Amino acid sequence: MGALALTACGSSSGGSSSSSGGGKKTYTIAYQGPLSGDNAQLGINMDNGVKLALAQATGLPFNLKFVDSDDVGDPAQAPAAARKLIDNTGVVAVVGPAFSGATAASEPLFSQAQLISVSPSATRADLTDLGFTSFVRVVTGDTIQGAKMADYVAKGLKAKTAYVVDDKSAYGAGLSKFIKQGLTSGGVTFKSEGLAPTKDYSAIATKVVAAKVDALVYGGYFAELALFAKALKAAGFKGAIVSGDGSKDDQLVKQAGAASEGIYLSCPCGGPTATGDAAAAQFEKDYQAKFNTAAGTYSAEAFDAANLIIAAMKGLGSNITRASVTDAVKKTSGFKGVTHTITFDQHGEGGTGEIFMHQVKGGKITLLGNVADLAK
Amino acid sequence: MCFTQSFWQLTISGLALGSVYALIALGYTLVYGVLQLINFAHSEVFMLGGFGGLFLVRGLGIDNPSGVTSVLLVGGGMLAGALLGAATAFTLERVAYRPLRRRGAPRLAFLISAIGASFFLLNLAGKEFGRFNNPMPPLYTSGKVFSVFGAQVTTNQLVVAASALVMLIALDRIIAKTRLGMGIRSVAQDAEAASLMGVDIDKVITRTFVLGGLLGGAAGFLFGIQFGVQYNMGFSAGTKAFTAAVLGGIGNVRGAVMGGLVLGVAENLGVACVSSAWRDVIAFLILVLVLMLRPTGLLGERLGRSA
Amino acid sequence: MTTVDAVQRGSTWSGVQRWARRDEVRRAACLVALMVTIAVITGPDGSQNSPYSGLRGSLLSRHAIPFYVLAVILAATSLAGGRWTTAATAPVRALRQRTTGIVIPKPVKLVALALLAVLVLYYPTTLAPFWQTVLVDQMGIYVLLAVGLNVVVGFAGLLDLGYIAFFAIGAYTTAYFTDKLPVHPPFTLNPFFVFPIAVGAALLAGVILGGPTLRLRGDYLAIVTLGFGEIVRITAVNSDAITNGPQGAFGIPHFSAFGYHWTLDSLPYYYLLLVVVALVVFFFRRLDDSRVGRAWAAIREDEVAAAATGIPTLKFKLMAFAIGASTSGFAGVIYASKVGFINPDNFPLLLSILVLTMVIFGGMGSIYGVILGAAVLGWLPNYLRDYVPAQDRFIYFGALLIVMMIFRPQGLLPSRRRSRELRLSELGIGGADGTGPIPGSTQ
Repeated sequence: MGALALTACGSSSGGSSSSSGGGKKTYTIAYQGPLSGDNAQLGINMDNGVKLALAQATGLPFNLKFVDSDDVGDPAQAPAAARKLIDNTGVVAVVGPAFSGATAASEPLFSQAQLISVSPSATRADLTDLGFTSFVRVVTGDTIQGAKMADYVAKGLKAKTAYVVDDKSAYGAGLSKFIKQGLTSGGVTFKSEGLAPTKDYSAIATKVVAAKVDALVYGGYFAELALFAKALKAAGFKGAIVSGDGSKDDQLVKQAGAASEGIYLSCPCGGPTATGDAAAAQFEKDYQAKFNTAAGTYSAEAFDAANLIIAAMKGLGSNITRASVTDAVKKTSGFKGVTHTITFDQHGEGGTGEIFMHQVKGGKITLLGNVADLAK
Repeated sequence: MCFTQSFWQLTISGLALGSVYALIALGYTLVYGVLQLINFAHSEVFMLGGFGGLFLVRGLGIDNPSGVTSVLLVGGGMLAGALLGAATAFTLERVAYRPLRRRGAPRLAFLISAIGASFFLLNLAGKEFGRFNNPMPPLYTSGKVFSVFGAQVTTNQLVVAASALVMLIALDRIIAKTRLGMGIRSVAQDAEAASLMGVDIDKVITRTFVLGGLLGGAAGFLFGIQFGVQYNMGFSAGTKAFTAAVLGGIGNVRGAVMGGLVLGVAENLGVACVSSAWRDVIAFLILVLVLMLRPTGLLGERLGRSA
Repeated sequence: MTTVDAVQRGSTWSGVQRWARRDEVRRAACLVALMVTIAVITGPDGSQNSPYSGLRGSLLSRHAIPFYVLAVILAATSLAGGRWTTAATAPVRALRQRTTGIVIPKPVKLVALALLAVLVLYYPTTLAPFWQTVLVDQMGIYVLLAVGLNVVVGFAGLLDLGYIAFFAIGAYTTAYFTDKLPVHPPFTLNPFFVFPIAVGAALLAGVILGGPTLRLRGDYLAIVTLGFGEIVRITAVNSDAITNGPQGAFGIPHFSAFGYHWTLDSLPYYYLLLVVVALVVFFFRRLDDSRVGRAWAAIREDEVAAAATGIPTLKFKLMAFAIGASTSGFAGVIYASKVGFINPDNFPLLLSILVLTMVIFGGMGSIYGVILGAAVLGWLPNYLRDYVPAQDRFIYFGALLIVMMIFRPQGLLPSRRRSRELRLSELGIGGADGTGPIPGSTQ
């Protein structure tokens, strides 16, 4: 009997709303991701991005509320965190989950509840092929980024030999798998190794230097790369260093200092300010003003995800339910975000498939251009 | 062999890391010596020591220091780290240990209150100081100083190893020669008998915590010079250091030093031979093998017999 | 400096020192420190660029005023001789005094039990799905884990910090036999029928680990098991070809047996766990009361003496270890099927520590205490979700552990034996227990 009640509740389309403030209805947009634990910072970046989007959304025919649910980035805690949002009948859409593992564990629940979840950052390749019916993401999956990074190493940098290192996180290992595939087909000979996140990378740096490779390709986040780059510099590494979007953060420059100079960073995002786009620059400014800190990795993606949800809701008139929002979000096409223009394909991929290469120059991450143009 | 090519390079960086492990391990071993319990919160003493040094160095805000200024900065940072570490350890003993001792709590209760203190301090530091890694501002122009067998020794490694060495020798002398050292050894050997002989056990315990805190805090600063300071830096370094303490023979001061150095070097050579991804597995396998052959660690346990 | 010197010099410093040593002054200082700490915890966050801004905002702003006022009031009353902790715990003490010696009549006990049964069976159906999920994912699974670890730590007195490794082995065995790993099994099974295999695998792993290491004493065992837990996790991370590495296994099906299909709903899993825990508790209680349990108690108290009386200590220790391991493996199967996705991040060292914390928090050696401990500590962070910022939850969690251990080191519901031991050691008698008091304890 309890089970029956539960099913009924789980599949009810939700979106019930309370009236307040001059007869306008109030809907809630939620965020799910890590807000505590070791990955808290990434999660807070996104949480803030969503908050900023909601704060800026004015003049709507409805009121918006915000709620967040901490999943610690941990698949074990993700189902409860997702359930928390599903139970809240005011929630009509979710930005998140942030991490791929947490996404895999939460999505069956969101699909059952017909509650759309727009992930700003879950890049694991197969997430859009697992049969989830209410999952879309604004980032490009790892498959494409890995391949493009390899392209760039082979054709842009014209490297003959490479060392592929990843941080053994779900993100880093996934990315490096596709980098390796790309390098093989690009004719680059390479060695590869995982990196235990212990902060002392002098031994592996010594090993990389001894291998005398043209390029080091890294799959992982900026915190480890900063220390690794320092160790490589101290060991006298002369080759190019290439990493992905998880490392593209001003913190890399801040933490690695001079050792970050010259590092190549790929990203499916045009990277807000790097695109020279006025809206993107405004976003950076607003974010700084509101949170007293610079926008971090995935802040802009979360901002876009929230805004495209709001845009979809605006188009629905008074017919706002979980199901209708899900449909509307999935049909999003040509939404102009601060990261890129977002159109979801039938799998829910909102990335453009285009990867942009950046480089740290004079202590700033600067855009080099589209990998498709750079690696010909 | 896999490491012939850069054997000395790896050994040197391993020794630098190992000497930091050794400093932290001493904190574990000292407390274990007198109380026979794992001070789980010592990793947070180490972390806060790192922040203490960082804030002092940042606060002074000296650009491009060199010469005497550099020496003063390193010394000052270490002192600030050590003092904050000692203050933390002192408070820990007062808040999380002494009330339990008064009640004759079972040993595992101490473990849990220490774990609680560790959660508390770790997350509070994250809340107050942010959760990013904070690189130490440059304290000296780092670079190659000299070569040994074709391997470079950098300023960083030299500073860390030399500072650690000085502190280790100082501690060894304190334990061997001073009244406090005698008190610590007597409590380690037999607390009850020591108390009957007029040793104030409470005082000895407090001072042992402070001594361990001084070393742990300074270690936090030395670690910070190399790898930056972060709110969660204590957990993995603490686990390793505790492993080192057990490896050398827990409760044994010289054993902790030896365990730290062995572990640091072995990890580095292991990375070269196997893979960086298996680094911690190598460390723990060495521990298991040593304990199979010598169940009380390399040098055997007991602080009392160490000097 | 001796007191005599100080008095001879007649320094005001010694007066200050003597004043500061007085109990009421100390108590007042403690209360002020406590209030300041609370002000900081509840205050605004700092950031990397301005690390003091959090402290400034907590201590030098309007936020701090109520705490300072409270601090002054508490300190003043303490100095005037008031005893706040005594006052606060007075009702508890009064209740305890009034209830000691009262023998609860059997009918009352039965009624209470019946009420409890109704509560356990019916109450969850009235909960929101979120709490039902918490009940299974964050509480039920941990209850099972804690009950298993209790055999190792509470009954046999072995400190195991790598307990989660067996949980991982159970979960990965499930993934293997449901064909969700890169290596393919000889035959696929529904997770429900993986139970015996997973339990066997975990048991085997327990024996393999325990065989050589259980000869080690106390804390050496702790660090070796800790190492083992990490070795298992890192192996899962690095063996991409077998475990799919950090990507883990996705799509492990729900249980399905005897015509019943479990689904995404948490409640059926709850009832399954309820049955499992009930069976396990029944079995472990029988075990603890048997010759085996007495052997464990003897080993826990004094291993050398136990061996001298002819107890094959290694055999019994190994048995405790293997029983704990297989319970953990069993829980792993349920977890894998419930969540449907596992990767090595699910099995960190921290989780082993957390389960140990639950055991001791609840009262080690006492099965019901351990169940309560796991339930409370699993529930708490989720309860805090609505009241404190997510990133601060574990500050409160940590503080609770310290406070609990100060005021109730024996745990929530200690076993009768343990509370007696603790009382004796407070009186200065005994303390022979291997996990008993430490040097420097009172008297």
